Amino acid sequence: MRKLILAPIIATALMGATQAQAQDTLKIGLIQPLTGSVAYNGTADANGARLAVKERNANGGVLGKQVELIIEDGQCSPANSVNAAEKLIQRDRVASLVGAFCSSATSAVMPVARKYKVPFLSGVSSEASLTEKGNPYFFRSAETDALLGQAFSKLLADNLDLKKVAYIGVNDDWGRGSVKAFESELSAHGVDTAMVEYFNHGATDFYTLLTKLRSSGADGVFVAAETQDGSTLVKQIKQFGIDMDVFGVGSWATSDFINITGEAAEGIYAAVPYVANQDGERNKKFVKDYATAYDHAPGKYAAAGYNSLNIMMDAIERAGATDADAILGGLKATDYQAPNGRYRFTSKGQGYGFNLVLVQIHDGDIDVVATTRIDNPEADKNNDGQ
Amino acid sequence: MDMLFQFIANGLVSGSFYALSALGLTLIFGLMRVVNFAHGELYMLGGVMGWLTTTVLGLNFFAGLALTILVMGAFGWLADRFLIERVRDQGEEPSILLTIGLSIFLTNTALLLVGTAPLNVEGPLPNKPVFLGPVVLTELRLFAVAACAALILAAHLVIRYTRLGRAMRATFQDAMAARLAGINTARVYASTFALGTILAASAGMLLGSIYSTHVSAGGLVSLKAFVVVILGGMGSFAGAIVGGLILGVAEALWGGYISTGTVDIIGFLIVILTLIFKPYGLFSTQVERA
Repeated sequence: MRKLILAPIIATALMGATQAQAQDTLKIGLIQPLTGSVAYNGTADANGARLAVKERNANGGVLGKQVELIIEDGQCSPANSVNAAEKLIQRDRVASLVGAFCSSATSAVMPVARKYKVPFLSGVSSEASLTEKGNPYFFRSAETDALLGQAFSKLLADNLDLKKVAYIGVNDDWGRGSVKAFESELSAHGVDTAMVEYFNHGATDFYTLLTKLRSSGADGVFVAAETQDGSTLVKQIKQFGIDMDVFGVGSWATSDFINITGEAAEGIYAAVPYVANQDGERNKKFVKDYATAYDHAPGKYAAAGYNSLNIMMDAIERAGATDADAILGGLKATDYQAPNGRYRFTSKGQGYGFNLVLVQIHDGDIDVVATTRIDNPEADKNNDGQ
Repeated sequence: MDMLFQFIANGLVSGSFYALSALGLTLIFGLMRVVNFAHGELYMLGGVMGWLTTTVLGLNFFAGLALTILVMGAFGWLADRFLIERVRDQGEEPSILLTIGLSIFLTNTALLLVGTAPLNVEGPLPNKPVFLGPVVLTELRLFAVAACAALILAAHLVIRYTRLGRAMRATFQDAMAARLAGINTARVYASTFALGTILAASAGMLLGSIYSTHVSAGGLVSLKAFVVVILGGMGSFAGAIVGGLILGVAEALWGGYISTGTVDIIGFLIVILTLIFKPYGLFSTQVERA
């Protein structure tokens, strides 16, 4: 029993020590799912973020201070992400927040950021409506489902010669948003919808879903899923003897996805904002640094974590101060040269100017089929968003 | 009509997996009265052991399974002797708190040691499709169902026909009388917990070979296992098997004809209906316990 009583005392003492040490640092809070079914992707994002902070600190930090990255586990759940945000803001007194990964979680953290007037940047959440909520504290350095759908639908319809497509997505804001965006865009290009189905995070058996898919008469299937769910689903599609073009959004074009999925990954298409074998010196350096630190090439989420932290640190440096209004000003003036393009923000806080890549997996390699760029959505007045 | 057969086949396959993982829980929760919230984590550890023995150490599947059973059996025994024993006969709350703590500890330790990446367990057979009329299955799935049946049968034989099994049944009927008759009940409790752990862990390894596993897989498994135990009746062998199959087929049909996005609703619906209409479960042999 004595040990049980001592444990919290020791823990508190340790926390006190780290807090005392951290007096003269600039704190940035990062909320990512570090446990649960997308933990793998959240960890990749956190790794990218750590690398960005390490590089910056080696070059003197921000505003002459070392940056301290405090990472909390939001578990991709709205409730836990809000708790994490409250803790980061109230106890750690972070200057700004990055993260939340899943759109449902980000959407729940947004009002908290607004309440406490803390700038909040998401490098991952792609549900289109997040930047349409008029929250002045929120910025997004990621593509939205709608932008991704617009950019890829014509490419997909032409390249794959699709007539009838089935849509499968994970059952959350992101999965539903992606399916909806691609369905409406592909329909506009004359592709019929064969089936729309969702599955829950962490589902393992997709045979029921695949039974429906097989009898749906589709010639291609669109999947919105992350590494774990996506690899299980793709493996079962091949096991089930379904011969359709598979194209997905999520973390598909990574070496890990290919390792886990094995032969079943052959020939699938993925639409991603980042692959490690993109051209450019900036990207080569990032891939090299990341591989040195973590022993594998960065994927979509590692790049997202890296970019979002760099954008946030740039903004604070540019602001010259750590109060919210100054940082917001700094974010608005973002012009960041990333490994995958040049990020800027619209007046609503939506990022643009970065690349999107359509890749196909061949013999364990990721071949780039086509590259396109996210343009400023506000520049195109004829384009009415949803 | 072809679809109906396929749905039922899918349901029976996942149902037999539910049955195996619920069987471990029915021993621990139904007989020992330990509300084991760490059950899913024992399942997860089985998957991690399977990955460690087959993919990392390169053993074949059966050697890996034997090693997993040995290690997890020892783990279950020690967990009972050092942890569960301290809260025995103190009502349910201490054991609930203890097992919740244990589950958090196990998940996070595994997270620290293994990481978040999905883990592959090498199966003994290729995952090639097999066509039975209109129904598609894979060799590995058929093997896993057979292995589930074999493990369930083995557990049944142990409890029915061995000395240990007789001692278990005596202990769970009346622990005091069993002690008076000279049975070392502490050892019986530890063996039962070890047996439950072995069943959960082998389910974890078998399913890992079909789907791939990861360290956070436990939560959902615990929930489903509790559903099956409540539906089947606490401590009932037949109940765990029938309950597992019912849950599997119900989920497959709901997913097939209504929507796969809402399929987890079925388990909770079953629990509510069971508690309203048959609160002791379908096979309620344990109702008259003192």
